[in-house]
Amino acid sequence: MRSLRTFAVAGAVAVGLGLALAAPSQAAGTSEVSVLHGVPGLTVDVYANGNKLLNNFKPGSLTDPVALPQGTYDLKVFAAGKGPSGTPAIEAKGVKVPSGANITVVAHLDADGKPILTPYVNDTSTLAPGKARLTVRHDAAAPAVDVRAGGTPVFKGLTNPNEAKADVPAGTVKADVVLAGTSTVAIGPADLNLKEGTNTIVYAWGSATDKNLKVAVQTISGLHGNPGGVPSGTGGLVDDSLPLPLLALTLFAAGGALVAGRRVAIARRQ
Amino acid sequence: MRRWLIVLVACAAVAVGVPAAWLVTRPAANAGVPVASVGVPAAAASSTPPAAGGNGSLPTLTARPATPPSDASSPYPSRIRVPALGIDAAVEPVGVDARGFMAIPREVAQVGWYRFGPAPGDPAGAAVIAGHVDTRQQGAGALFPLRAVDVGDLISVTVPGRELRYRVVGKQTIVKQRLPVEELFARDGAPRIVLITCGGPFVPELASYRDNLVVVAAPVAGSQ
Repeated sequence: MRSLRTFAVAGAVAVGLGLALAAPSQAAGTSEVSVLHGVPGLTVDVYANGNKLLNNFKPGSLTDPVALPQGTYDLKVFAAGKGPSGTPAIEAKGVKVPSGANITVVAHLDADGKPILTPYVNDTSTLAPGKARLTVRHDAAAPAVDVRAGGTPVFKGLTNPNEAKADVPAGTVKADVVLAGTSTVAIGPADLNLKEGTNTIVYAWGSATDKNLKVAVQTISGLHGNPGGVPSGTGGLVDDSLPLPLLALTLFAAGGALVAGRRVAIARRQ
Repeated sequence: MRRWLIVLVACAAVAVGVPAAWLVTRPAANAGVPVASVGVPAAAASSTPPAAGGNGSLPTLTARPATPPSDASSPYPSRIRVPALGIDAAVEPVGVDARGFMAIPREVAQVGWYRFGPAPGDPAGAAVIAGHVDTRQQGAGALFPLRAVDVGDLISVTVPGRELRYRVVGKQTIVKQRLPVEELFARDGAPRIVLITCGGPFVPELASYRDNLVVVAAPVAGSQ
């Protein structure tokens, strides 16, 4: 799925695109929004529509989600202590936040090392029981990569600023990031616990040339599905119907009552 | 005529009395509160994140390093006992089978705890434990006597370092297709134990029972 890039001069960006799924617990007319800081070496203040949203935001940090009213936002990222006037380090005008979506806005380097802001829609659809969702986003100044689990590529040829995702069996995997088509490890390996019922979102950020490539992780939980049922018996020993011998006895007795009743009736008439 | 009258009365008594006696003397299929109602949170207590303030002002966000959550998982239950019924079985963690149904231990003497949900002793939600009532190959299983459980019976579950105690608050026999999995496998609400096995009429063509027998128990105060 292509992520959506915003530019300082570009018009409105429609975030949502039919993949936005309302989480039942959201207030009407809002989306859940988190912000990830993936630009190395820059502690920042973040402004939205002229109001300060974040103070002293450090690289590698993720905000707790907040319900942002739907609308259009001008985002400005300044070096900490500068702003709100003057030239921001990163700017995105006209970022459209819809209702009922779950979004992460990421400040990161593009493939050429220039800082930009990219909003991503997070998939919060319900998972099948026993499954986890793995989402990987390429937000590093680095060439195309493959993401491997246990040494086997799970996602291939991922480029900045795109993402890839898959629903997988829950469990812990040994994950690493390699240059696409090679076994040259760029990040990792590290144990990644893909917890059942969660969307584990892994961000590759930093700069290959500055040798500070890192991984950031965001976890969205509560997406689990329930088992379809509980199949727990094939023997028939606790069968709840009237047992066959008792049924036979009942029918036999009923038959006998019928026969006896007729004989009584006949005898009565005589 | 008198002879036939006696036969008539005797046969009628048996024809009515035998099924009636059978109905009255077998354990009740349902008792206590409806199992899907236990522990469900009152109103939709949602985990809505803080809303942005009114009059166009926005809240200041809080942030933390974007590292994976800690891997701390709950201690596994290892044993379950229902003394009133003579049930005493080893518990193993289970997941789902290929069809997405809860996996049940093949060995009928063992029961399974649904490892993706809360564990017994967790502060919220339903810890689900299920086992075969019987199988064709092995006969009666550990939960074979469960049908006879009464409201108020004690259930004890062993987790590392302690013994957790629960009291049965409800049992219900429910057609499998209507099993309320949302409520029975809920991971929020009051902490509780849910025991599930099979029951109801046996359907030989399908080699399975029509119903599930569900028993719900609440923690004994001060035991957790």
